[in-house]
Amino acid sequence: MKKIGSVLIVLIIVGLLFGTLMGCGGKKETPAKEAQKAEQPAKKLKAGFLYIGPVGDYGWSNAHDVGRKYAQSKLPWLETVIVESVPEGDAIRIIDRLVNEEKCDVIFTTSFGYMDDTVKAAEKYKNTLFFHCSGFKRAPNLGTYFAELYQMYYLNGLMAGVLTQSNKVGYVGAFPISEVIRHIDAYALGVKEANPKAKVEVRWIFSWYDPAKAKEAAQSLVAAGADVLAFTEDSPSVIEVGQEHMKKGKKVYTFSHYSPMQKFGEDSVVSGQLVDWGPMYVKILTDVYNGQKDFTNYDLWWLAAENAALLGGEIGQPINPKFVDLLKSKKIKSKDLGEMNAYDYVMKRYEQVKANQFEPFTGPIKDQKGVERIPAGKKADPAHLLSIEYFVDNVVGEIPRK
Amino acid sequence: MVELVVSTLHRTIMAGTSLLLGTTGEILTERSGILNLGVEGMMNLGAVAGFIVTVRTGNVLWGVVAALIAGGIAAILHGIFTIYVKANQTVSGLALSMLGVGLSGVLGKPYIGHQLPVRLEQIELPLLGRIPLLGELVFHQDPLFYIGVLLAIGSWFFLRYTRAGIRIRSVGENPKASESQGVPVQRIRFLCTVGGGAFAGLAGAHVALSYSTSWTEGIVAGRGWIVVGLTIFSLWDPLRGMIGAFLFGGIFVTQYILQPLGIPPNLLAMLPYGATLVVLLMDGLRKDKRSLHAPAALGEPYSR
Repeated sequence: MKKIGSVLIVLIIVGLLFGTLMGCGGKKETPAKEAQKAEQPAKKLKAGFLYIGPVGDYGWSNAHDVGRKYAQSKLPWLETVIVESVPEGDAIRIIDRLVNEEKCDVIFTTSFGYMDDTVKAAEKYKNTLFFHCSGFKRAPNLGTYFAELYQMYYLNGLMAGVLTQSNKVGYVGAFPISEVIRHIDAYALGVKEANPKAKVEVRWIFSWYDPAKAKEAAQSLVAAGADVLAFTEDSPSVIEVGQEHMKKGKKVYTFSHYSPMQKFGEDSVVSGQLVDWGPMYVKILTDVYNGQKDFTNYDLWWLAAENAALLGGEIGQPINPKFVDLLKSKKIKSKDLGEMNAYDYVMKRYEQVKANQFEPFTGPIKDQKGVERIPAGKKADPAHLLSIEYFVDNVVGEIPRK
Repeated sequence: MVELVVSTLHRTIMAGTSLLLGTTGEILTERSGILNLGVEGMMNLGAVAGFIVTVRTGNVLWGVVAALIAGGIAAILHGIFTIYVKANQTVSGLALSMLGVGLSGVLGKPYIGHQLPVRLEQIELPLLGRIPLLGELVFHQDPLFYIGVLLAIGSWFFLRYTRAGIRIRSVGENPKASESQGVPVQRIRFLCTVGGGAFAGLAGAHVALSYSTSWTEGIVAGRGWIVVGLTIFSLWDPLRGMIGAFLFGGIFVTQYILQPLGIPPNLLAMLPYGATLVVLLMDGLRKDKRSLHAPAALGEPYSR
């Protein structure tokens, strides 16, 4: 018995050590720190990042971390610290630690739910700079930034419209908030332009990250007859569902979201949207490094034109080559572009949104009840898009009340 | 309509399989008097071990074996702590859950975004698979489903009718009396705990190698906790556990079928836990307390 006891004590000590190592969070990544110290003793900048999910979610937090790593590789004077899976209610405690213990100069809070805590922290720590992703509250030491993908959803919608055989297009949404509703509406506008008969059906999973729920939601859409699926949540589950059906011989096309997910479904992913936070982080950090002091009006809202939003399910591939011929065999017609094959049409529209020559949310746009929300010929402004809370007329089902 | 029903039932069986495997294991463990709340952790470890080994070897069978072993090893830890050191079983189980979830996240990190080279394919059983509807539903599933059903029925028979099964139950009810009859209490409890852990590992393998085909952190997503609830729901009977597993799987799947009708999914997601409470309540109100109740010595460390 005594032997086991002493073995256990050793085990417990090892366990505790392991626990403290893991629990301390805050992973530092400073490649070639020593070398840089020798070359650049002068000015360094330390940035802290708060992530809402695990970096391994392969969605939102992962994309931010890819951006952080990009900035790290571009800016030799940059040092970064990350804290992942920070619950929204707990942000202030983590920020305190990043400021007081890690001595961060800049802190990025990368979830909408961190907004009020970030505002409070900015009041408390006047000498630290804060940047909040996707929010709208600013202060002299608090800026905001966002990369918006709705234009890509619209382009995906065009493809979904020509590909659907059942005229039922599915969508798995995370939460019924403006950001997701905007994506769904943009997607539906694309579908409508390519195929006025098709309807968009939505399932909500009420979670940003739950692979099992997303999977069942996608399966239920397929069971209800949808043959094209898109989504706003952070796992590749919907694509896996499409791939499974494709393998069994049932055609279910999918669109990738946020990270390059084409490899999860080579036979199913037609296209998708990709985000690139890297250049944005480089821009913000460079502005800080160069001595900008007042960030009251600092609000980056980057779209396709700034290359923050890209079309495709794989970097460098706007449309999966497997489906190029299929798209070329279909036609889309519109007043301004005339009739073209679907592939050329989508690529043309892609160029137009990149050059800011086309806005998917151009009136007349009616909601489900037939009320005109954007009058004919008028383009929606960012404020309208930011707070959008209605479904356009070819979406089926109501928005659940919050 | 028929297609919708068939596909829903098929999904139900898929969603219920991991619950079935986990519940059968937990029933075995708890029947011997050991409460193991570490199912979530053991399932995560099984999932990550299964995934890594499958990617490395390219053979899904090795993945399943690895998951089995990983779950077993995790349970050995719990066994040593609770049986031989007589630590508090609740605390040890909770610690195991946290350890398993964390460790699987760390170990799985390099595999994020990896696709499985091979997966556990669904197998159509000869002859039986050709029965219309039923064949498609029940005899067209992945091997772990068949194994799960066999294990559940086997455990039921084993616990009820075999000498070893009666010994396990007696150890869970009254270890002192069993020991005086010459039953090796600690060894039986240890074996049951390890066996239960291995089942949980298999459940994890089902999640990572069949239900999903790519690694994402937190892949088990709370199924281990549902298993703990299900074990109570089943009143420690593997056959009732089987019904419960597919019932809970069905509720999970139906959430999204019913959503367009305006039924909030949160309400449906709550149902498994609500059902467990109702069963406990009904059990408490029963007059005949002999057949249906928790093993009397559950959660109590035994010392001579």
